[in-house]
Amino acid sequence: MTDAFPPPPVAAPPVIAAPPDAPLSAFAALSPADLAVATRGLVKSYGRHQALQGLDMSVPRGQVYGFLGPNGSGKTTALRLLTGLLRPSSGSIFLLGASYTWRDRERLFRVGSLIETPSFYPYLSGSENLIVLGASGPPTDPQRVNQVLEYVGMSGRARDAVQTYSLGMKQRLGIAAAMLSDPDLLLLDEPANGLDPGGMVAMRETLRYFTRELGKTVVISSHLLHEVEQLADVVGIIDRGRLIREGPLVQLLEDTGRVRVKVPVEQMAAAADILRRLAPDRPLYGIDAGDQAGWFTVYVNPTRGSEVNRSLAEAGIYASGLEPGSDLETLFLELTGSGSGEVDHSAARSSGSPEAPPA
Amino acid sequence: MRLLRAELLKIRRRQATYVVLFVAVVLMVVIFLLTGSTLGGLAGAITFPAAYALIGEFVFSIGGLMAVVYAAAYVGSDWNWGVLRNVVARGESRTGYLLAKTLALIIVLGIAMLLLFALGIVMTYVTGVVYGIPVSNPLSGDGIADLAEWLIFGFPVLVQRAALGLMVAVVLRSQLAGAVVGIVLYVGEAIITTTLTFAAVASSFGGGFDPEGPILGFEPIGPEWFQFLPISIGGNVLSALPGGATAGASGGLEDLFLKPVPFELALPMVLVYLVVSIGIAVFALRRQEIV
Repeated sequence: MTDAFPPPPVAAPPVIAAPPDAPLSAFAALSPADLAVATRGLVKSYGRHQALQGLDMSVPRGQVYGFLGPNGSGKTTALRLLTGLLRPSSGSIFLLGASYTWRDRERLFRVGSLIETPSFYPYLSGSENLIVLGASGPPTDPQRVNQVLEYVGMSGRARDAVQTYSLGMKQRLGIAAAMLSDPDLLLLDEPANGLDPGGMVAMRETLRYFTRELGKTVVISSHLLHEVEQLADVVGIIDRGRLIREGPLVQLLEDTGRVRVKVPVEQMAAAADILRRLAPDRPLYGIDAGDQAGWFTVYVNPTRGSEVNRSLAEAGIYASGLEPGSDLETLFLELTGSGSGEVDHSAARSSGSPEAPPA
Repeated sequence: MRLLRAELLKIRRRQATYVVLFVAVVLMVVIFLLTGSTLGGLAGAITFPAAYALIGEFVFSIGGLMAVVYAAAYVGSDWNWGVLRNVVARGESRTGYLLAKTLALIIVLGIAMLLLFALGIVMTYVTGVVYGIPVSNPLSGDGIADLAEWLIFGFPVLVQRAALGLMVAVVLRSQLAGAVVGIVLYVGEAIITTTLTFAAVASSFGGGFDPEGPILGFEPIGPEWFQFLPISIGGNVLSALPGGATAGASGGLEDLFLKPVPFELALPMVLVYLVVSIGIAVFALRRQEIV
């Protein structure tokens, strides 16, 4: 009997290009009072298992915050703690600038949430579900029910029983429910689950309007990295219950962005001098032997690909290959160790002349 | 008030509400027809005002069991469907939410009780006509007073039994577990009480023979401690209502062999159980982490 599958490809070790002594959060210096959401040393234990191990999360006001992490990293636990469903084992939470404890339920009047799957009474219609939900928590204008149903494109099915809805329709209704009381802060756990492309576009536009026009804050936990990349202004990545990086998405992508370029092997030394000038404080890797000979990895923003090419061409070095790279997925996989949870910070400290990439 | 209105809307639109009521109506029709065909002429059970005891026994005993199941399903479904999460995450008071649910349940039980009593009166007439039994005038003599007593003092028993189902469902966070455990408590207590009644009677036979005693000259004993259990104590209240003891309202052998718990003690005990059940449910909900 022969092996049915070829051996897995060998992945390059994760590389964090940010300076190793950089703060985990770009907002670490901000006071919790200036943030929409802040957690400090937040711990949640289930028996001997610690789902959160001192989470320090900082969500700036008026932005879309993409809350990312592998399965089981503690995202949903964090959101449950923020909405009073769970009690923290230790640590502190600040909501909309003020300290929040489990008993401060009225603070949640300004928060809308969709935690895990959208949950409704299956025998009630969509609008009836919103009516009964609106009877709880903050006083809600009855007209608001129709308004939010319209926001999420559910007006046409508002009178049908929820048990006849598809997952995507329930998801839309869940987002409508979260916006019911016109909150200042929206906490959405996997809001794009089950949405069709049209639904995703509508959700994106609604949430953008929510933040950019109304100045409100949105926290989105999602595993759809492409969706988050298109929507989020700020990203926080957690792994094993701890924050491992947080900051503006553009800056994080720039920190880990790269361009791969292939030059003639005999011109590698000259090319290295030019490429090092493009990113003087970043590592530069080159391969001078084997199938990959001639390839350089330059850690610059992928949008600078043409600049890399032009710089080489001006020196008479003509690239035969150019691959701008890095996106949120790459960043995520690198930071979370591709699921292994291991992050190699030491690689960030190496830099210099052309050399083989670390084994 | 807006919470209460929302709860009443949920109950009104819930199919289970009508299914339980339908089952109760069918059972009542069957029981009346069976009673009319067997005992009606002899025992006068299908004659007013004694018929009120038959109606009352059905509404508060069999209806009580159904109330346990319905209350558990009504409250426990908030966990099963995950909707409690939405309410808590909106900052609603857990205590206020549960009390609104309890109040809505009490209102619905009251309506169901009145409907079933009305149906019982109609069924008394129907049974009388079918089996040729003179049913007498329901408003004559003590009729109105008897009816009022059954409604006023039987209702707390019905609510207290429903509150048991509610409490179990909240503590166990499940409608199914609440309903099953509620039924087990209900039936289990009846079995335990009957067994303990036998044991108590057997151990008291050394006490001598009283020719005036109701059962073969046996003088009833007690009250025993197990008559104060949550379901039994309600049975003692029902037994004290007009015709209740004859109709076997306590639901076991207690009416025959045991002295009833005095009404003046049984009714407050029912109210204490009601308050304690709701209190435990509120306490549990306030402490719970909702996942």
